[in-house]
Amino acid sequence: MPVDTGFVRGVSMLAWIALAAVLMGGATACASSRSTDRGHEMVVRVKERDFRIRVRPTRFEAGKVRFVIENAGPVDHEMIIVRKRRNAIPLRADELTVDEEALDPTVATLEPAGPGSTREVRLNLPKGSYEIFCNMAGHYLGGMRAFFVVT
Amino acid sequence: MPRARAFDPFSGRGRRSVAAILCTFALSSALSVGLSIWSTSGSRHQAAVVQVAARQRTLAERYIEEVLIARQGDSADPAVIAQKLRRSADALLDGGVAPAIDGDDDATRLTRARGSVVRRQLEQARRLVADLTATGSALLRGEPVTAVRPTAHERLPDQPLQRLRVLTALTSNVSLNAARTIAGADDRNIDHLISLQAGLGIGGLLMSLLLAWALIRATRRQTAHFRSLVTSSTDLVLVFGRDGCRYASASVSRTTGRPAKELLADGIFAVFPEDDQPSIRAASIHGEPRELVARVSDGSGGWRQLETHVSDLRGDRHVRGIVFNARDITERLELEEQLTRQAFHDDLTDLPNRALFRDRLDHALTRAKRSGELLSVLLIDLDGFKQVNDSLGHDAGDKLIQEVGRRFAGSVRTSDTVARLGGDEYAILLEEADGRRAVHTGDRLLAVLREPVSIAGRELVLSASIGIVTVSGGSATGEEVIRDADIAMYAAKEGGRGRHEVFHDEMARELGELLGIEHELRLALERGELSLHYQPMVELASARAAVVGIEALLRWQSPTRGNVPPGRFIAVAERTGLIVDLGEFVLREACTQAAAWRRELLLKELPVTWVNVSAKQLVAGFNQRVVEILAAAGLSPDCLGIEITESAIVESGINGVRARAELEALHRIGVLIAIDDFGTGFSSLGQLRQFPIDVIKVDRSFVQGAETDSKDATITSNLISLAHALDIVAVAEGIESNAQLDALRGFGCDQAQGFLFAHPAPADEVGKLLVRSSIEPDETAAVA
Repeated sequence: MPVDTGFVRGVSMLAWIALAAVLMGGATACASSRSTDRGHEMVVRVKERDFRIRVRPTRFEAGKVRFVIENAGPVDHEMIIVRKRRNAIPLRADELTVDEEALDPTVATLEPAGPGSTREVRLNLPKGSYEIFCNMAGHYLGGMRAFFVVT
Repeated sequence: MPRARAFDPFSGRGRRSVAAILCTFALSSALSVGLSIWSTSGSRHQAAVVQVAARQRTLAERYIEEVLIARQGDSADPAVIAQKLRRSADALLDGGVAPAIDGDDDATRLTRARGSVVRRQLEQARRLVADLTATGSALLRGEPVTAVRPTAHERLPDQPLQRLRVLTALTSNVSLNAARTIAGADDRNIDHLISLQAGLGIGGLLMSLLLAWALIRATRRQTAHFRSLVTSSTDLVLVFGRDGCRYASASVSRTTGRPAKELLADGIFAVFPEDDQPSIRAASIHGEPRELVARVSDGSGGWRQLETHVSDLRGDRHVRGIVFNARDITERLELEEQLTRQAFHDDLTDLPNRALFRDRLDHALTRAKRSGELLSVLLIDLDGFKQVNDSLGHDAGDKLIQEVGRRFAGSVRTSDTVARLGGDEYAILLEEADGRRAVHTGDRLLAVLREPVSIAGRELVLSASIGIVTVSGGSATGEEVIRDADIAMYAAKEGGRGRHEVFHDEMARELGELLGIEHELRLALERGELSLHYQPMVELASARAAVVGIEALLRWQSPTRGNVPPGRFIAVAERTGLIVDLGEFVLREACTQAAAWRRELLLKELPVTWVNVSAKQLVAGFNQRVVEILAAAGLSPDCLGIEITESAIVESGINGVRARAELEALHRIGVLIAIDDFGTGFSSLGQLRQFPIDVIKVDRSFVQGAETDSKDATITSNLISLAHALDIVAVAEGIESNAQLDALRGFGCDQAQGFLFAHPAPADEVGKLLVRSSIEPDETAAVA
């Protein structure tokens, strides 16, 4: 991947936003530790690391879900959520990365973020099975995919 | 409240401030340059990392190809690629040389990676390289790839080739990710550096602006300071360049009355007189002469004198011109001229004064010495000027002096010098004039004075005493000439005034004698060389000659001249005015002595003490002085008699009036008045009648002729009869024989005085006569 200063600056800015979100959300997190289901919003913690993804909980009720995505590093990771397919997920011609266009629409897509970053995304998920993965070169096949079920 | 000190970049403190600002500026610049160098080296490192990371991708892909080729049995050397991959991964993490690929690139030197994130990423990349090469080696050895235990926490597909491809992708992805992280960190550093440099640049710019502003302000203030000094200065400053006047200070405009723009270029030369313009132009071009006095027009028809200093500052890069510094010395020159005139001219008449007269006389004597010509000096003293001053006032006196000066100046040639030496004394220097011409001039001067002068509503006719000296050059000094003229003038005064006398040597001798007496007489009064003798006056009516009066007579016992007869020194005292002091001395001594006689001799009746008083003593206040002396002595006024000469009371003018008033005042308090030497002067019989006279003393010349000369006898007899007719006591002076005594008794004379009765004698001897109270006539004593 070529070095892109704008990209780095964007990441940096996102990191700052994330930090602000952490500080703001800290209180929320503290509150939600007592009750993860506050005001019908489910909090799902996604922890990414080289090279695996852990989702907690893996089964929850349909409705508003707040995903808190933490990159535990050490390298950058993105996050894509799609509905689970009966067949295997299609790969691009390089046979290394998921063909996202073929999956369109995805449920959620987050651009790559550096190690140590925490991001949030709010989704209204219907029932079903979902797959969550990182689509950076080799990461999907290297083990960065996980599943969760919305009931 | 202390006032903030203004920043002055030219002072020590100001220089330190400037140095501090410059140092700060230099420091920030150095810091900025250092940061730039550091950031540049950082960028170079970043580029190297990116290059090596990209190379890892290529190496990883090439590694798979080599493995596949080798598996097919073809010639390949994947181990070399594997080694390069590992060395590059090591170099990225811990620094060192990352090998080149196929000799296309140069080996790249890297420094040890810093930052925990980057290091963790590079460690991950190294693990992936290890997994990749281990998987490749297992494949080449024909061993199952699943036996290789991944170290980078990846979960790989079981299919060998896919496993290799995934590892390759992860290796290149993680390497590039690390390179991106380094680049991002460097980008942030560069952003900070840009901010820092921008701050330093802005700070430096502000400092520069501040310094420039302070310097401009200080320079302006200094410029304004010097400008106001120059503009307010009364000195005139002109700066000349190649095109004439380049600068003219405000004072030049003020002095010349022309606006500054008219003075620039060639315009300045118009203020100088045409004659001076060439020299001024030359000075403005060549800077010579260094000093000059120039006249400039003051714009209103007058001229100002400028003392100008010319400085050639063409070599001075701050000026590059010829500078005229000029000072207006008009007032100073006028004052000098005025002072010079005052020093050599008389204020009142504007005639030359004594100093200038002496100077001209000295020069004339020098010229006369060369030419052999004669020159004459006339010294003129107005007669009776003091009376004019006293009676008509000083203003009238001043007008008279001026008028006389004008008349004298109009009576001589313009080449002659008329000077006022002081008071009422004038001098005239006639050059190339012999005695005849000098005398002729003297006559003319007396003639012009005789024309009446109208002063203070009075018609005055003047006269003067003129001394004339004619000398040849070299025969005398100026001082001697004036002294001789003075002697001649003195002689003219002595000779009856209203005349001139030509100096001759005998005059000098006579005057010398007189001057000697005057000088010694002054000393005599101070040294107590003067004393009184007393001569009794006796009653003729009674058979025994009772003493009825005592005349006090002044005696001078000089240590050098011996006993000086009164006839020699009284006249000198009269002339010099010393008689006033002498007269008072006599009055005081006589009164004191009379009181002493009465006190010591226990006299029942004290004879009248007679004292001679000069006309010059009879000035305002004399009667009070007499009263004081009487009181001091404890003497009754009726014991004192004052003898005056006829001329004292017949004098016309204010002095005569004043003298009579003083005598009348004294007479009123009881002091007796006698007229001395009666018959020899110019008595007016009318005045005798009106004037309070108690006694007349018939002059000895008549008395001594009374026995032999019938005319003297007749005069004496008639004088006595006249006295009796006016109820005045007649006293005969100078009786020396019994025949004279008999004759006078026959005429009915009341009293007598003379050697026949007693010579003048010291007080103690006279005291004895007073005790006896009468004197027997004694011819033998009289002859002795």
